[in-house]
Amino acid sequence: MSKPIFELVDELPTDNFTVKVLRGLDFVIPGQWNNLVGFKNTIREVTGETDADLIQQIGDRAVWLYNDKSQGYQRAMWLYQTVDRTDSALGAAALANKVGEKVPLLGFLSNITPKADKAQTIDLCLKLVVEVVAFCQINGIPGDSLGDFVRSLADYGGESLMRMSALVCLDALIPLGPDFIQKAQGMLGDLSPKELESNGTFSSIKDSIPGNNAAKKLDFIGQSFDSVQGWMGGFVRDRDLTPQKVTSNLTRFVEIADDKLDYLAAFLDMSTNYYEHTGTQTLARRLIERAVAEI
Amino acid sequence: MFRLKKFLAPLLLSLLLLITACDSAPPSDFQQAQQESTQRGARAVDREAVAGGEFNKFFPRSQAGYEVVYAQEKKGFAEAKLKREGRDVAMLAVSDTVSNPEAAQKFANSTEQIQGYPVVAQGNTATALLVADRFQVKVLSRDPEFTEGDRKTWLGKFDLSGLARLK
Repeated sequence: MSKPIFELVDELPTDNFTVKVLRGLDFVIPGQWNNLVGFKNTIREVTGETDADLIQQIGDRAVWLYNDKSQGYQRAMWLYQTVDRTDSALGAAALANKVGEKVPLLGFLSNITPKADKAQTIDLCLKLVVEVVAFCQINGIPGDSLGDFVRSLADYGGESLMRMSALVCLDALIPLGPDFIQKAQGMLGDLSPKELESNGTFSSIKDSIPGNNAAKKLDFIGQSFDSVQGWMGGFVRDRDLTPQKVTSNLTRFVEIADDKLDYLAAFLDMSTNYYEHTGTQTLARRLIERAVAEI
Repeated sequence: MFRLKKFLAPLLLSLLLLITACDSAPPSDFQQAQQESTQRGARAVDREAVAGGEFNKFFPRSQAGYEVVYAQEKKGFAEAKLKREGRDVAMLAVSDTVSNPEAAQKFANSTEQIQGYPVVAQGNTATALLVADRFQVKVLSRDPEFTEGDRKTWLGKFDLSGLARLK
């Protein structure tokens, strides 16, 4: 059985490496994300209510809604968790004793294998597709409704916007460089359904991607990227984002060598779970918004 | 040696008790809901609940400085954000209480009406109305400047009689 929603939200870390990295990206969307954790705390923050009885009623309804599998919340949570799950030994354990001090990237180089551009492109695109599918599951829009999703991107805020900012910075700009859109489009164009099928993350989540075979799913991935590339390009242009700007804001807690950006990208991928962290926050928020309106 | 043995067992036993006591976190206030909602056959949303998309046409339209942006559309539930100058000032929602009839019970104590439908205040931020003894319409403030009066005004902007015919 999956974990209760209140436990997932209560157990969100107040400060770990993922949270530090996200705080390091505050300059991209200043003041938009605060690390809201704790189930009751989230209820109070989202609804503005403080009465204990009312908070209990809202929380109870949210728990019921989350546990009704037909409502899609558990699937969305599973997607956020699965696309972000690291299979590396270099995770929380290796970093646990580094909290409060700078992580020397050089010390980890032997444990890190940078990803080829193609693998990185697949990673980026799968995270994007998970955002589309989870958004549709949570908000109740048909799963292949890219138009609705793209329109709602303009209205993204808080932890959802932070997730997208981190996607652009950590999974696109740092590993693929400033021309990541053209690069990823080129890679996607060359990608065969067979290559896609050999990707571990794709194998895990493929049942949730629209399309009845790998070729159709690859089409959907391509369409998703095409629909969002305009938004991503605008996001980077409006904020004048560069890989150097992003890395210089991360140097407060990671020692980075400028010529090792591919290593940095792989390291961040292995040591953070920002999709799961902010995805849990987004899901809790939507669930609570619904619960308070239904009770 | 004898003395040591005599004390060691109770000492270890109390230590064990202490450790297990510290280890188990107090049960969550939501544990009961968790248990009930994961029992076989438990459903949060009734099969008979009206699809959320059916509610959309009864929502108020964007008007004079206010923008209505649809946010959620689930079975038995639809919600939109009410925005003023790009900021969320309130949430507008319709839900089908066939899934949770206890939500409709609070209207039994209602002393106020809008267009003949019973209205209740809930907490500090919400005002709710019940249509046809079944569909709950709610306006929830998301900005302190959006007052209870504003909530009632916006409740009246829903197409309530249209919604009543949906039953």
